[in-house]
Amino acid sequence: MNYRPYLLLAEVTHRCPLHCPYCSNPVQYPGGRELAAAEWRRVFDEAAQLGVLHAGFSGGEPLLRADLAGLVAAARDAGLYTNLITSAVGLRRERAAQLRDAGLDSIQISFQSDQEALADQIAGTRAHALKLEAAKVARELGFPLTVNVVLHRANIGRLEQIISLAESLEAERLELANVQYYGWAYQNRAALLPTRSQIARAAEVVGARKKQLLGQMEILFVTPDYYSERPKPCMNGWATRFLTVNPVGDVLPCPTASAIPGLRFDNVRARPLAWIWSQSESFNRFRGTAWMPAPCCECPLREVDFGGCRCQAALIAGDAGATDPACALSPHRGKLTRFVDSVQEDAAADRPFAADAGRLLFRQNPNGSK
Amino acid sequence: MIAMTSRPALARGVRLRNDPITGEPVLLFPEGVLPLDAATHDILLRCSCEATVAAIVLSLAEEYETDPATVRADVCECLTQLRQRMLVALRP
Repeated sequence: MNYRPYLLLAEVTHRCPLHCPYCSNPVQYPGGRELAAAEWRRVFDEAAQLGVLHAGFSGGEPLLRADLAGLVAAARDAGLYTNLITSAVGLRRERAAQLRDAGLDSIQISFQSDQEALADQIAGTRAHALKLEAAKVARELGFPLTVNVVLHRANIGRLEQIISLAESLEAERLELANVQYYGWAYQNRAALLPTRSQIARAAEVVGARKKQLLGQMEILFVTPDYYSERPKPCMNGWATRFLTVNPVGDVLPCPTASAIPGLRFDNVRARPLAWIWSQSESFNRFRGTAWMPAPCCECPLREVDFGGCRCQAALIAGDAGATDPACALSPHRGKLTRFVDSVQEDAAADRPFAADAGRLLFRQNPNGSK
Repeated sequence: MIAMTSRPALARGVRLRNDPITGEPVLLFPEGVLPLDAATHDILLRCSCEATVAAIVLSLAEEYETDPATVRADVCECLTQLRQRMLVALRP
């Protein structure tokens, strides 16, 4: 089987002005210098030669790279589609215009909730008002806008209002992304996981609003895997379509793969991207189906869900090569189910976020930088 | 429902190009890449913001030398799906 990457996630920095307690960045940041603009240019050129068509600029907060417009231009020069995934803190009009002139194709802005006070509590900083302003600027400059809201116990009850917010911002897309419980989020999962009834209610709200907004705004919502019977088809299969290059140049098959113990990553400073894609031990470790244990290897769904998520298997089953414990057929599913059961009563849906904030671990920046 | 008088165009931020590796057409949009089959590609090539759906149907029926009624159902189905994903916008 010949694999070919289509999408590159360019994590240009791990620095971020926000401190969201569900951040998908690693809890242990990799050491080293951030890639310089010339190094990113080479990454984009090599990625395009490999088949990549689309680059997401992410982080941390990509706007903290003063040279971001140059990075975008380099990706565009390589023929890539460019999408900025941002908190929008720092996305003022001149900056947005500069990015547009560099060829940026689209902008995705994260919101923490629809209410300023709650949103700022979740972000651990005052950001909501800036985001509203930036979304307006993005529209005025003609960018297509995606609003991304990470859902958890404290904001999922406000789904109706969150959808209305995205509608009022004239977003083309609304991604309602349930927290995925790795990294910072795993540390905080007892306070973040919604209850079963919250999820059921959310699915109803989404179903109704999706129909109503058809052709105006696309709403994407996936039930969190802690509440499903089958694992998610994580990354559409390990190392089949996606590449992540992190701020220091490590190349990862998935953005959170650095949390898997014992997996060694190759770096763009030492190897060409094409070599890494085809030869890197980390990319080949879970490619295809040959690595699969029972019950995956005999499962008719093995090419549908690809055995689920390797990071979650490492985290819950203690073995990255095990069946994803989200699967009802996993021998470790009981651990997830017991955890899910344990939060149902503890998690009074109307308890204010501030009441839980004291036991949350908020995301910190690398090397203690602000 | 797709009105025959509406004028479809690629939605904001959507790009149609050929995949340099395979030579096949793909749509690039904010959240990813969508490889296109020949029929969808033929429709999208005609979504110029000028041509009405009715005109697109006639043009395709001519090219395929087939009955416009059949083409019309396929075009409506295709545009409906692309519109749901915000890949195509319909102007009155």
